[in-house]
Amino acid sequence: MDSMTAVYIAQGLHGLAYGMLLFLVASGLTLIFGMMGILNIAHASFFMLSGYFCYQILQWTGNFWVGLIIAPLLTAIVGVVVERFLLRRMRAFGHVGELLVTVGIMLIILESVQYFWGTESLPLPPPHILEGMVSIAGIAYPIYRLFVIGMALFVLVILFLILYKTRIGMIVRAAVTDPDMVNALGINIPVIFSLVFAVGTWMAGLAGVAIAPIITVFPGLADQIGMDAFVVVITGGFGSLGGAFLVSIVYGLLNSYGIQFISQLAPVLMFIVMALVLIVKPMGLFGERE
Amino acid sequence: MTTKRLSWIFWIALLLFLLLYPHIFGAYYTNVIVIFGIFSLFALSVNLLLGFTGLLSFGHAMFFGVGAYGVALALTHIEGCPLLVALLIGIGSSFIFALIISPILVRASGTAFAMLTLAFCMLMYTLSLKLRNITQGEDGIGGFPIPDLNILGIVSFEMTDPVNFYYFATAVLLISMWGLWFITKTPFGMVIISIRDNAMRVDYMGYKVVNSKALVLLVSASFAGVAGSVYALFQNLVSSDGVFSIMTSFAPLIMTVIGGVGSFFGPIVGSGVMMLLEEVVTRYTERFSLVSGIVLVLVVMFVPMGLTGVVKIAREKWVLRRAANE
Repeated sequence: MDSMTAVYIAQGLHGLAYGMLLFLVASGLTLIFGMMGILNIAHASFFMLSGYFCYQILQWTGNFWVGLIIAPLLTAIVGVVVERFLLRRMRAFGHVGELLVTVGIMLIILESVQYFWGTESLPLPPPHILEGMVSIAGIAYPIYRLFVIGMALFVLVILFLILYKTRIGMIVRAAVTDPDMVNALGINIPVIFSLVFAVGTWMAGLAGVAIAPIITVFPGLADQIGMDAFVVVITGGFGSLGGAFLVSIVYGLLNSYGIQFISQLAPVLMFIVMALVLIVKPMGLFGERE
Repeated sequence: MTTKRLSWIFWIALLLFLLLYPHIFGAYYTNVIVIFGIFSLFALSVNLLLGFTGLLSFGHAMFFGVGAYGVALALTHIEGCPLLVALLIGIGSSFIFALIISPILVRASGTAFAMLTLAFCMLMYTLSLKLRNITQGEDGIGGFPIPDLNILGIVSFEMTDPVNFYYFATAVLLISMWGLWFITKTPFGMVIISIRDNAMRVDYMGYKVVNSKALVLLVSASFAGVAGSVYALFQNLVSSDGVFSIMTSFAPLIMTVIGGVGSFFGPIVGSGVMMLLEEVVTRYTERFSLVSGIVLVLVVMFVPMGLTGVVKIAREKWVLRRAANE
């Protein structure tokens, strides 16, 4: 096999890994948006917070797996507290208030993280079993990234099974389409909202822990993926999980091949795709409601 | 009649105060008030969308930044570019930029509008970082010459002198603020307020909602461009983190909300409060963003009408009580 094909495959796997992580973040964002109409500006901050939680747990226990389990759960708890005590009180006053509260939370998380852990980037080594390279079709590829792809796929399959095969999933999907009607049918919508918020922040948290060993933990961690996740949700259509999945993978690949060939302008590619999609379909690829 | 005379006295006193200000308070506080004016105008332009048209712009920094970069690029590349021409280029570039993206923006409203403006602001941020040969990447464009203000070749003021620049900036900003205020009082201003309250009904009455939204976006973008242009001249440095970052978009929003959404003078009050808060807080801690985040959450949750709203309610209560006593 010539070296060019190897580069193609390696870049493809890189793009797939990033696309998967992007979908973990974007799916929570789009679910929360679809159900509650909240554009959660602080969503990527939860992603970063989880990375810092994992770093702290690693400092205390020295075990990555404990961090991988506990840190997203802690993040989800923070998310539920924010939803229950801040956002729920704001619901009656319309979306602008909710948006501004999430802006405030973003600032608070960003500054607290710098207060507790400083501004330097903190290394977070992957566990021994996932270090090193593995050979796929003649190319050496980091095991850890394959693990990330596998884990994200696993979570996605579980998420789709819950959403499409269980009663609670049915209620959530119905609530994305029309929360008021579901509420009128006697289902406790505020509890469903909290649950979706918890799951959304948990997935963002999981992605935050997963990405930490690749690019370390630092206060700017949320910027890039937060930006990308917003663009994914806009392009895929507000509230559409399938759209978010498709667009995440496409952006992941676009990004990694873009860096390979037009390194300077690669980050702009996805904005161009977004603008083109919006000119044709103002609600995004699969978006139906505003 | 007396209230009218009182307000005349107030405006003349304010002008006199601004005129004498740099001679009383010295250089540091002169610069503080220039920044205060820039952000007041910026917040006013955000409020024209948020408070008057009901459109939440989450990426207003893009218009601010395009104006700032416009001025910086004009002064760097055009030999002997006069000051007012540079200013017009800055405003014009914001206007043209808004003209280009407005067809995509005005079809959305509510949260979708907020998200789209945010995305376009991020695009400008990324572009300003990556188009290194034009914008010089992270370093930003700095050290461009600030030309003298030359009025008809008769008198010339040196703009590198802080006091001269203060007069120039204050004049530009005050005229712009007056222009914004005037727009809200025209029939067009009435139309945009009714779009906020009931867009469908305005449509039935025969006004073009989408066109009006586009027009108000252009107006707001141009005034944000004025603020950005003055900012570029004042700082003599334009960088992506300074003008396109997400915090530059949020700062005028926070000011507007704290001062009072929908009240014309609210953003100015909010800008003043935030400047004061920054002056005080930075003496004790570096974490001003933390404080502004907490203040934002508290204000949105407990005082959603903002400071001017509180004053208005208090005054109404006072009037009612006085009426009851009589």
